[in-house]
Amino acid sequence: MEGIKENFKFLIAETQKQVNATLDLLVNPDGSNYEKIYNRDDYIDNLKTIIENKCFARINATINIPDKEINEIRAIHIAGVNLERIADNCVNIIRQFGYLEDFDFINSYSYKDQFDLIRDALSRINRVLENSDMTGALTICKAEHELDEKYKVIFDRIMSQLKTGQNTQNLITTLFIFRYLERIGDSLLNIGEALIFAIVGEKIKIHQFQSLQRVLSKSGFDGDISDIDFQGIWGTKSGCHISRLEQRPSSTAETRESIFKEGNLQKIKAEKDNLEKWGELFPGLTPRVYSYNEDSGSASILVEFLPGHTFDESVINADEELLRSGFISLRETVRRVWTETRKDEAISTDYIKQILTRLEHINQLHPELNRFELDIGQTKIRSSNELFEIGTQIEREIKAPFSVLIHGDFNANNIIFDYDINRIYFIDLYRSRSYDYVQDISVFLVSNFRIPVFAEELRARLNWIIEKFYSFARGMAEDWNDDTFEARLTLALARSFYTSTRFELNFEFAKEMCLRAYYLLEKLFAHKQGNIAWEKFHLPQSVLYY
Amino acid sequence: MSQSQDFFYESVQDPKTIKDFLQSLMEGIEKGNIALSSNGEEIVLNPSDMLKFSVKAKVKGEASKLSLKISWKEAKKVNIEVEDNLEIKSK
Repeated sequence: MEGIKENFKFLIAETQKQVNATLDLLVNPDGSNYEKIYNRDDYIDNLKTIIENKCFARINATINIPDKEINEIRAIHIAGVNLERIADNCVNIIRQFGYLEDFDFINSYSYKDQFDLIRDALSRINRVLENSDMTGALTICKAEHELDEKYKVIFDRIMSQLKTGQNTQNLITTLFIFRYLERIGDSLLNIGEALIFAIVGEKIKIHQFQSLQRVLSKSGFDGDISDIDFQGIWGTKSGCHISRLEQRPSSTAETRESIFKEGNLQKIKAEKDNLEKWGELFPGLTPRVYSYNEDSGSASILVEFLPGHTFDESVINADEELLRSGFISLRETVRRVWTETRKDEAISTDYIKQILTRLEHINQLHPELNRFELDIGQTKIRSSNELFEIGTQIEREIKAPFSVLIHGDFNANNIIFDYDINRIYFIDLYRSRSYDYVQDISVFLVSNFRIPVFAEELRARLNWIIEKFYSFARGMAEDWNDDTFEARLTLALARSFYTSTRFELNFEFAKEMCLRAYYLLEKLFAHKQGNIAWEKFHLPQSVLYY
Repeated sequence: MSQSQDFFYESVQDPKTIKDFLQSLMEGIEKGNIALSSNGEEIVLNPSDMLKFSVKAKVKGEASKLSLKISWKEAKKVNIEVEDNLEIKSK
């Protein structure tokens, strides 16, 4: 590791020399500097490659490297690549400089401030890395913004000068030179972000970082950001950046874990509003909102981290006793939510429309699943589009007799089960609304079906939970005299099966789900042709099991 | 893994006899029981409610082929007892 750091220090120093030499050349155009800069460029390229090789070798050859060191190696690698890019841009600048008809021309524009910003940022890199200096890392990031602003002023000025039609070669060359300075800013931002990664162990964009700071301070956190332990990336879901944070024990007696999400304003705001609504109706069932912040076009939220396992994970891994109590908890939680939020007012549903709005996405992954019209002897096989049209017509005929507060994305992995205290929590509620409970039932059933697990004993567990949940839901429907329950569930299942294919890369399994969707729509169509009341329609239950 | 069992039969027939064969298979599918035996060894098929059905046809020069395939998979469930739905009284 020391070797890598040594090389890295050299690379910083060489890049600094290159930047200084470039500035010197602009101030005192003198041929002797050209060659030095070109030669140094090769050396810098080599240094970068050496660092790259050492970083990969270190990761490759060492077992159990501590996370902190891995993060540092990754940051050094990224910073190294970007330092080399900065040096390249210096070479680009002096190349452009050669095209000036009058070397003095550039002196009518200020460029020293830009060089000062770049030199200041470069001089901080090693210190930031050695001392985990978050403020320093942010200063490096900010250099990009300041360079951008300066570039904008010069760009506007050159644009208006170009309109005179004079000095075009000098003007365009000068513009290129400033453009390269602006691009050096982009590399500095990458370096700053890489250093933040080394400090907090989390890949986070600077604007996300700023919103994190804001939501943390609104939530009453007044410590240093580096006291926050980031638990890796949880991944991006629906365009939102999600990470789990833990305040290190030293800061307070009790640790408080939370989830930070940053992304699309509408989604994050909907999530916040829904969490507040659920919090009032069912305290403790959903995460608490610690703080929320809006920026132009995006928003961020800090919510309570609820301990436990996702329900799909529990179905597969928990022992039978736990699974039984997990199911009972889930069933009783759902029963309570439905019972307490039920509004007796018939509502229309839009299951088939939900397919149509995702159709492009579905067809992208598995275009072969789109069915064209076929004839087998006298039997006509309907195309997918025709089936969706028929489904839409049928859906208009059947209304849901009441609505409940639905979760809106009732995937098994949006349900958390805390084994220790046998409690169920709901997460990811941004789509929650007053709607037909059949939507949540269908999503839950198919979210279990589509888990790509094929070992017999695990499938038997998935089939079990599907059967239990289905029979519970059907029991509720019977109690509430919901006579079109099975017909609506058939439409909703067609939707869930069909749209699930867009997440399934395994073509055979995707096809399995798609064919089940077609089958359900064909069943509905046959029933419609028989002119039988929808109350008499029965879901072919075996479609639920695999 | 469970042991696999195979059955194979090949013949030349006229359309009337093929119709009889298909008829007998259709009845078996409806009942959920098709027994096939050769040399005293019997295979019993129990078609489920969810059957995969594919039709393949090919004409190549003088030769034509029509293949029908019906396949299925038994969906197993673990047996974890759960008492009947609890009635949670809110009052």
